[in-house]
Amino acid sequence: MSDRLTKVEFTNLDKILFPRLGITKAQVIKYYIKIAPRMLKFLFNRPLVLTRYPNGVDEKSFYEKDAPEGTPSWVKTSKIYSETARRNVSYILCNDLDTLVWLANLAAIEIHIPLSRIDSRTRPDFLFFDVDPEPPATFEDAALVALSLKEKLDNLGLKPYAKTSGKKGLHILIPIIPEHTFKETRDFVHKIGQQLAHEQENVVSEFSDTKKPGKVFIDYLQNSHGRTNVCPYSLRGVPTATVSTPIGWNDLKKRIKPADFNIFTVPSLKKDPWKDIFETKKNWRSNR
Amino acid sequence: MAKKEKPVRMPKRPIWSGNITIGLVNVPVKLYAMIYDRGISFHFLHKTDNQPLKYERVCTKDGKIVPWQEVAKGYEVAKNEYVVFSKEELEATKPESDKRIRLDKFVDYFSVDPKYYNNSYILMPDNSNDAYSLLLTALQKMGKAGAGRITLRTKEYPILVHAYKGAIVLTTLRYSYDVVDPNTFEELKKLKTPEKAELSLATKIITDLSGEFDIEEYEDNYRTKVEDLIQKKLKGEKIVVEKPAEEEVKGLMVALRETIKQLEKK
Repeated sequence: MSDRLTKVEFTNLDKILFPRLGITKAQVIKYYIKIAPRMLKFLFNRPLVLTRYPNGVDEKSFYEKDAPEGTPSWVKTSKIYSETARRNVSYILCNDLDTLVWLANLAAIEIHIPLSRIDSRTRPDFLFFDVDPEPPATFEDAALVALSLKEKLDNLGLKPYAKTSGKKGLHILIPIIPEHTFKETRDFVHKIGQQLAHEQENVVSEFSDTKKPGKVFIDYLQNSHGRTNVCPYSLRGVPTATVSTPIGWNDLKKRIKPADFNIFTVPSLKKDPWKDIFETKKNWRSNR
Repeated sequence: MAKKEKPVRMPKRPIWSGNITIGLVNVPVKLYAMIYDRGISFHFLHKTDNQPLKYERVCTKDGKIVPWQEVAKGYEVAKNEYVVFSKEELEATKPESDKRIRLDKFVDYFSVDPKYYNNSYILMPDNSNDAYSLLLTALQKMGKAGAGRITLRTKEYPILVHAYKGAIVLTTLRYSYDVVDPNTFEELKKLKTPEKAELSLATKIITDLSGEFDIEEYEDNYRTKVEDLIQKKLKGEKIVVEKPAEEEVKGLMVALRETIKQLEKK
């Protein structure tokens, strides 16, 4: 018998999860194993919401908040009252490699996290800007908006980090000390968005303007209690097996494409531009 | 999870009978096993003809089989140096089971550290229903346990006699010198006091994950699997050894080993 490297019992390893690229579940599990050293810190103590694709990304998916039936006893869960489900939900916490491998084996391709941890659920530890281009606006347009946003935030003495959403846009995160409410962070993000919308013609920041063609929408509403966003390094359930990938600000000037960051390329990225993210937490104040 | 019916086992015959003695009062009782280790055990067979194997005592010097009449017991005092005892010499020193469970005082059951619990037995009345009932009811009412000693086979044990689920149960205890004091580990004395914030986080997590302990949630998976296999074999089904697709698993194991190494470095 081999020494037990994991508590997980693998099932249906040869099942195809990304049909267009012929990617099997074994490859998905391997991806999450390889990325675990970079990814686990973002999952730590955050109640997860999963998007599971039991029959691959071309078939039906479903959201899962509750720890599913048959969840092994070693998987940590946390009972939390869910506003949307109107009942107590046993959320999964992924604080170790085994749990991440187990999630991958469930074909939980997308892993979503809230902006606060279970120890201070009403106090976010990130400010979150969702930069979302509406066609014909492109990723490139979003990248330019993100760079102006960075300049603005730099001037305020904040340290923003960027990642691809893995779909068409970008996410900008700022680690903060969790001592403010979601309303305060949301208002701040909204205010910054409004300023930029005022300065740049192709930027919108109001919810009613979301679907305006050719505009880049700075979504502030993600800064809400109970909302979840795709976790850094999570795969996306799209045919191209992209990854929501932390990137450096210089990368954004180099005409990168979201599809460049995928299940094959991300594990071998040399640089970790978010390496120190939790060490740069700012004592951010909403009244600035 | 589907729960399987667990076969109820009732011990057939007592393994001991005697008296509980409290001062001048005697309560005749029979002692039944209460704890079973229901792990799976196998017999060794000769692979070529499936015949059971047996053990023989073989002399290490000449390799010859030694009959029981020629076997003595030796206590090793130094490497290859023994103090030799004959069977009779040892018999004479063994404590005699005097068929008594002597109780010399009553204590709070929960005041005894569970680390000392060794084994438990069910005591049943031995034509002594009234006295048994009286003792049981008194123990239940007071929430106390009788402390004393018993000799089982050739060993004397400290014991507790207490009420449990409507019966009197006897629990043998370990001697204090059989339990290691964790403080023998020097590194425990060097642990630093955690930061206040860390501690409050940790206690918060414990609070969030708090629940009721239910032993029924646990099952020996190995045992269940082997039992299933035994049933299949009895029905003449051919057992297919399920190997997950080798190559894929190997690849995952290589990745796991690499990641575990990286995580340990952090």
